[in-house]
Amino acid sequence: MTALGSVLLGAGTLLGFLAAVGVARFPSALARMHASTKAASLGFILVVVGAAALARSPGAAGIAVLVAAFQFLTAPVSGHLLGRAATLAGAHGDLLVDDFSGRRAPLPEPPSGETVFSTSRVAGTALLWVLLWRDAAVGTFAAGLIVGLTVEAVGRRRTVARIRPLPALRFLVFYVGQVAVSNARLAWEVATPWHDEIAEAIVRCPLETLSPPVAILVANSVTFSPGTLTVELTEEPELVLYVHVLRFRDREETRAEIRALEERATAVFRPDVTRRG
Amino acid sequence: MDPVTGAQIVLAIGAAAASFRVVRGPSIADRIIALDLVLLLLASAMGAEIARTGEDLFATPVIVVALVAFAGAVLGARFIEWRDVPEEEEEEGQT
Repeated sequence: MTALGSVLLGAGTLLGFLAAVGVARFPSALARMHASTKAASLGFILVVVGAAALARSPGAAGIAVLVAAFQFLTAPVSGHLLGRAATLAGAHGDLLVDDFSGRRAPLPEPPSGETVFSTSRVAGTALLWVLLWRDAAVGTFAAGLIVGLTVEAVGRRRTVARIRPLPALRFLVFYVGQVAVSNARLAWEVATPWHDEIAEAIVRCPLETLSPPVAILVANSVTFSPGTLTVELTEEPELVLYVHVLRFRDREETRAEIRALEERATAVFRPDVTRRG
Repeated sequence: MDPVTGAQIVLAIGAAAASFRVVRGPSIADRIIALDLVLLLLASAMGAEIARTGEDLFATPVIVVALVAFAGAVLGARFIEWRDVPEEEEEEGQT
């Protein structure tokens, strides 16, 4: 446990450090984002998981799980928003291909329509509440249920994306592999003193899916995939993803990568959500 | 040297490198990206402290700092978008 914890702590520290070097050295804002969103997020998760393994207490393990889940959810979202904003502000380097230039889609309308009550979402919120309090008392769980029901009543909740457990697990394994590969590549990119291989481009990738949950899953996974970063997900009127590529070779290669990711993402959801509401 | 202290020193050096980018810019996007990273490295250094003190002292602050980093990045991104819309382009969007 001690050895594992030390290794994780060390690896996480190294990734955090490499992210900082990348941010300091890479030539443009979007290239810097590749370093900060990919490496620093995984580094943070590894440090906390490693520290929890060293602390050897169940409470610390709970915190580590919470931090990891939280970071996996929030990092692609903030990466997507920052990437979009930086692109619109023109803070990218010289682009070999720029399919995005001149497009400023209006911010999407908030989803409307019928609302759906989801028991699992209420239970999830309650569980999160208990984890945050680190106290498994009945009263804490009751309070968590109240919070969950309140969120469910107040929040927007048009579609319930129904997830198929086994494909979801397969996607998670694939995703973790992608995260590892992209961090290894990024570490190489940062650690080598030459930048000849950085060739930035923004590629338009039309999606085949009509389902917003699938598109969002693809957009978020792209941010953690090797060498790619989501810049914009938009309706033209079909769903189109704009992807920033750190080492561009050609459009078709990028599109093929996104297509492969999309196929995996489509399998995660039950088909009844793949029609657009 | 205690490995946890060593990790924190390395993370602090990283935060200093990222701070260089906060100061240097050149665009606001660069500064927000770098500041987000500084906060994440701070959260990592605090997370490393869990190895020594257990979950009692640092667990909640770690989550709070990570949350502030996320909220800051989202607000920063929104700020750039709202600030940078030239007026004639906005009118184009409406027609």
